[in-house]
Amino acid sequence: MSEKLSLVTCTSCGKPIPPGSESTKFLCPNCGEIQIKRDGKCRKFGRLYKCPKCGFQGP
Amino acid sequence: MSEDQVKENQPTENLPEEEPVEEQIETVEAPVEETVEPAPEVPEAEVVDEEADEEVEVAETGPEETLLLPRDTLLSAGIHIGTRMKTLDMEPFIYRVRPDGLFVLDVKKTDDRIRTTAKFLSRYEPSKVAIAATRLYAHEPVKMFCKLTGATPLIGRFIPGQLSNPQYKNRVDPEVIVVCDPRADAQAVKEASTVGIPIVALCSTDNEFAGVDLVIPTNNKGRRALAVIFWLIARQVLRERGEIGPDKDPPVTIEDFEAKVTREEEEDT
Ligand SMILES: [Zn+2]
Ligand SMILES: [Zn+2]
Repeated sequence: MSEKLSLVTCTSCGKPIPPGSESTKFLCPNCGEIQIKRDGKCRKFGRLYKCPKCGFQGP
Repeated sequence: MSEDQVKENQPTENLPEEEPVEEQIETVEAPVEETVEPAPEVPEAEVVDEEADEEVEVAETGPEETLLLPRDTLLSAGIHIGTRMKTLDMEPFIYRVRPDGLFVLDVKKTDDRIRTTAKFLSRYEPSKVAIAATRLYAHEPVKMFCKLTGATPLIGRFIPGQLSNPQYKNRVDPEVIVVCDPRADAQAVKEASTVGIPIVALCSTDNEFAGVDLVIPTNNKGRRALAVIFWLIARQVLRERGEIGPDKDPPVTIEDFEAKVTREEEEDT
């Protein structure tokens, strides 16, 4: 699971997600169509993310 | 854990003298219970900002709005009652501050997030959804939630390693976790972060987003409020999964979700 994360960018900050960084990914809670990826930093600092498809804003 | 951050995040202006955060369980429990009845909106209350101003209108002109339960039912359960603290993170979910200094959540936003959370959770295999409930009043609601939806309960003190230590024999391996309070359930949040699963959290006005991937703004301390919120999420999950009709109720009532504990037991937590 975390191997794949290393290849993607964070939905919050747009930076590549380093491997093993307490990151996560999940389908947009609202539309379920886009995968939201958050790196460990953005999670830790509670930074906002926005679904590019439906506009849902989290957390 | 995030005591410093909490302080940082606190705007000073609206805060009456308040006990320190670490005393949360005792200090905030009290107002929750005692403020359940005078909760409904006081029209002449000072409104804190323009956003809240707009919300006043929405609240008062919208008796036909479609909430998951009648507004009065939600309000009488105190689902909107926050604490005397607010964090900047939670500001968008806050409706106003009452004259007594208590911050109150916007019920419509709570309702929206219950729906969103249910959609989100219903995409996972039931047993892969874990619910952590350290706080006593959350035990019964979470047990019932898990019984109804097939989720995995993690009740009481969170055993370190329960999620993150592969050597621990009773380790659970969920794909998503819901916590009743990111502060009371800090260990669960920490371990869920480590293993990289998304974290849903019930957050009151004094919580922060740190570590949380999806917030449900709600009173996360009151007995009745916790029963209502978990019952509603459960019902909505069952509806999303098609296990009950879109306007049907589950076979258990909100009362069944409510913790049956005495005041003395509560003091022990
Ligand atoms: Zn980021
Ligand atoms: Zn979306």
